[in-house]
Amino acid sequence: MKDIYEAPPQMPLRKPAQVMRLSRMGSMFPTRLSFLRSLIRRLAAERAQVTRTLWVMCEEGFGHAVFSVDLGGHTYSLVAVSTDLPEDMRTDRVIATAWDTAYVLFDGVPEAEDIARITANAPLQEAGRFGPRDLILSRANKSVRLFAHVVEALRAGRQPDAATIADVGYLMRTTAVYGNGKFGIADRATYDTRPGLEGPFAAEMLTVWLIRHFTHALAEHVGRGPLDPALKRHLGIGNSTGLGMAPFLVTHPVLLNNWMMARETALARVRAIAHLTPAQITRIGELAVRAAAHLAQWNVPDPAHQARIEALRAEWAQAATVLQPEPLAQELPLEAAMQHVADLSEDTQELMAALLIEPFGELVDGLDGCMSDPYGAFAPPLRDTDALRAQIEAGFDWALGAAYADADHCGQFWYVSEAKMEPRLGLRFSEEGAALESPLDIARRVAAAYNDLPVGAEPVSAFLARHPDHALAVERVTLSARYPYAEIRDNLIAQSCLPIDMLRCKLSFFGASKFDPKSDRWTRITLCQGAPLADQLTQTADDWWLPVFGA
Amino acid sequence: MSRSSNEVMGLAAKAARGAGAPPAQAAQFGAAAAAHLGAGREIDVLVAALAVLPDGPIMTLPLDIARIAETAQDGLATGVVAADDVPLVASYVAALPYLAWLGQRGTLALDLTKPAKRGTVQRIDLPDAIYREWCGLAARLLVPESDASRLSGAGAGLSDND
Repeated sequence: MKDIYEAPPQMPLRKPAQVMRLSRMGSMFPTRLSFLRSLIRRLAAERAQVTRTLWVMCEEGFGHAVFSVDLGGHTYSLVAVSTDLPEDMRTDRVIATAWDTAYVLFDGVPEAEDIARITANAPLQEAGRFGPRDLILSRANKSVRLFAHVVEALRAGRQPDAATIADVGYLMRTTAVYGNGKFGIADRATYDTRPGLEGPFAAEMLTVWLIRHFTHALAEHVGRGPLDPALKRHLGIGNSTGLGMAPFLVTHPVLLNNWMMARETALARVRAIAHLTPAQITRIGELAVRAAAHLAQWNVPDPAHQARIEALRAEWAQAATVLQPEPLAQELPLEAAMQHVADLSEDTQELMAALLIEPFGELVDGLDGCMSDPYGAFAPPLRDTDALRAQIEAGFDWALGAAYADADHCGQFWYVSEAKMEPRLGLRFSEEGAALESPLDIARRVAAAYNDLPVGAEPVSAFLARHPDHALAVERVTLSARYPYAEIRDNLIAQSCLPIDMLRCKLSFFGASKFDPKSDRWTRITLCQGAPLADQLTQTADDWWLPVFGA
Repeated sequence: MSRSSNEVMGLAAKAARGAGAPPAQAAQFGAAAAAHLGAGREIDVLVAALAVLPDGPIMTLPLDIARIAETAQDGLATGVVAADDVPLVASYVAALPYLAWLGQRGTLALDLTKPAKRGTVQRIDLPDAIYREWCGLAARLLVPESDASRLSGAGAGLSDND
């Protein structure tokens, strides 16, 4: 007889009306379900070995290299190209046309002709052309200050200053990581059933982790000496992310639902734990201390965000009292912990949620298999316009009632710029281009469709024949019946909409930490900080949630 | 030039929007176009469909399929789509998110209870002339940058060295 899987007990999920608000999404922290964590667990389970198969680099660190790794029965290779970039050409913005380094994740081990093709095209990025064995395309710029410091120290026969390492946290920043067919690279569908690459952005995360490995090797090569492994472990990969990433969460509603559903299910499962073991109580206490230490090391130049971090530090001191041994020894202690922070800031609530999930891998790690989107937008069509009306009132009540003609409710518009064909956000009443608006105004569209619904029921197709512009709204409402976490429940064209909240949500699912917003439209982050190095992939390698330097 | 399926899907969708299709119909056309070309079907019907926007099959085919879906009993439906559109219907059917079978003379059977089986994704050789034409249609949606939008639109400074 086959074993029948029984889902663990769980509390009710937090409702979409609570979870899917921009401000809360903009307060999220990485969890053990974040894609980098899943990838590292997979690599560690396979005892993956990274090998340097080619290293053609001058003394100053310009040339190319290949690093290969086996995962799930396939070999993948990072082809890295390092060029001498003039200082005045180094910008993280998408308008850049040259970068310090460029990368392709190649399917297999590249032959000489593959390497020649990639080294010619990768530095061109969007202007290059790529093929079906090129899985991911990326680029990165140096943190000039830290890279130079590390090289200088190593050449002098000493280790770099730990405080400087802690301050910056990465040798290079990626400014784009392209996947899924962009510029001719492989469609994700050609490899997303391979073991280890099934998860969302798994190939992108593998690329980022290998890029980090390359940056360490490059610094050691130019510095002519080895870096202390403890320092290396804290050197992640920086990333600059702007508006280009924000629309993804709107244009991939099923994927967003699956990510949020997995995370919320994980939280619901741990909240249902009736009693903790002494070891679990100890572990949670350690994580509470680690979270406080991480917050203490998280400093940003922006005064408003620094104030928010400081408020979180203060609140965390209060929140963490519920993570002491005595309260954790009570019945349903983790449900009590969430209730304890229910009246505190969303930052504190989301930090608590991420922490409570962390110690319970056996209970939640399997959920990472539910975070991809193998079936697309599969949802049965709604029967008629009465059913459509009912579903709007059930799933989009938050979108109804706003006066969308008022400047407060439509003051911004999303568009695609001619210069770089990248998403942008404009001011409707002071900038040109609103007539070419991108359809991210889901709330307004659903409200408009609702207002045009006929009094008596008719087939939805008849309604759409008269109102073809409502087809997108109908599609989203239809999806909402099956995917409750698919929709950001805020008006994305409101004057008050802050795209940075969308960025943080998505980046937290990647596993990012140390969010460093530079405006409400772009942020720096760090990926892989504290993650195991290539020679540290052991079964205990997974313990790097909210890393603390010097711990 | 060999292109990825996703590249072609995105370009076809943008071309349809640029030619006047609303966003949902444009996205459906993009998916159908990738399926169409991936299956080695003639590109002419795609070009013709774009040429007659805001009328024509890009607007009507999703409705024709929806009308059949709306007759479903226990998630199963059958119907007939207009014969003139059959070459393109096959591609729209291939891109549906649920199980569907297209038979002789436009007979369409749907099983709305089960997700579609994934097909093999093919590389696509899009003729250069068509590529340029579709890029031109897609470009109708692009907003020229001004000094103000260049500085405020992405939010970043001109140099981000650290």
